Amino acid sequence: MRRPNAIQKESEQIATVQDLTGVFESTASTQVAKVKDKAQLAQEFFELLWKRYSSLRIDPGERIGERDNVEESNKKVFVMISAEAGLSGDIDQRLIEQMLDNYDGKTTDIVVLGTHGAQQLQQKGIPYTHHFTVPETDQYIDVSPVISAVSGYASITVYYEVYVSLGVQEIQTIDLAARIKDMGEDVDTDDIMTSEDTIFEPSLEVIATQMERTMMALALSQTILESTLAQAASRFNAMAGAKKRAEELHDLLNMEFHHAKRSESDRRMREIMISLKKKKQRARMA
Amino acid sequence: MKHKDDNEDLSVIARGPFDIYYEGAAKAVSASNAVGQFDILPGHADFFSVLDPGEITVTTSNKPVTFNANNGIITVRDNEVMLFINI
Repeated sequence: MRRPNAIQKESEQIATVQDLTGVFESTASTQVAKVKDKAQLAQEFFELLWKRYSSLRIDPGERIGERDNVEESNKKVFVMISAEAGLSGDIDQRLIEQMLDNYDGKTTDIVVLGTHGAQQLQQKGIPYTHHFTVPETDQYIDVSPVISAVSGYASITVYYEVYVSLGVQEIQTIDLAARIKDMGEDVDTDDIMTSEDTIFEPSLEVIATQMERTMMALALSQTILESTLAQAASRFNAMAGAKKRAEELHDLLNMEFHHAKRSESDRRMREIMISLKKKKQRARMA
Repeated sequence: MKHKDDNEDLSVIARGPFDIYYEGAAKAVSASNAVGQFDILPGHADFFSVLDPGEITVTTSNKPVTFNANNGIITVRDNEVMLFINI
């Protein structure tokens, strides 16, 4: 059995880990609440704008499909939205595994958002063409550099993380161009705005072109925001799990400490008893 | 074209991704686009435009509400004005 002071030292270290994981758990919980509110506001905004964009009487699908800078090779790109830092549980790992199930290096390039994902891909020896950092912020992120990096591809698939509940986060994918295309297809005919009944300034063509880029950027920003929320929830779960394990370990060490203490006092008691017995024997002999 | 009641107030929604700048009735909305400064009054024709950076003013029955936009989109449909700011 280990000595009580060695156990006590380890127990103190575990108590520190327990405190730290408690702080991380609390920070992650605050982050979840904060990002959840923002995500809800942004979703309402996005839906309103989406509705207005859908009402433009130009088939957005055709426009997206006819982008001038699409490469002749028709190469695909996967955009992977991971966490910027670690301590977010296994969610990035699951994201990468799901993405790699559909990955073919000959036909597909990878663009990574988030340093954690980039590091994991490097460790697996999977190349990526671009890496963008994702600031740990609940503000909208300027995604124009990402849009510029992916706009030349025939197909843009975004792999991102979705918050289902505090305990459940899922991996989802969207085809960015197809999503914008789908918008124009389920519009109520009463909502359609044409140049016959609407004034477009400076022109319908200019507005449609700008709206396509804006909607694509907003759709990407939404996925980043959703991922940020899922990562915060995953971090909360990871920290709650680590805190629970630290508590269990701390309890075990406490028990071991008391056993060791009792065992030590029993041993001393036995030694005292033996010594007393010997003294009595020696007194009788004398 | 649908009939528009010139006596009605405008119904205005001005939002950013994380901000609600104004929501409610208004007498007018003033902003600027590539063509120049413009005002939207009740009964305005349906309208869709990209906004230039600058100040936007919503004139209400109380004091006017102003806010700045780096960019944005304005749509007018049947006296309903939607401003999508800083997108």
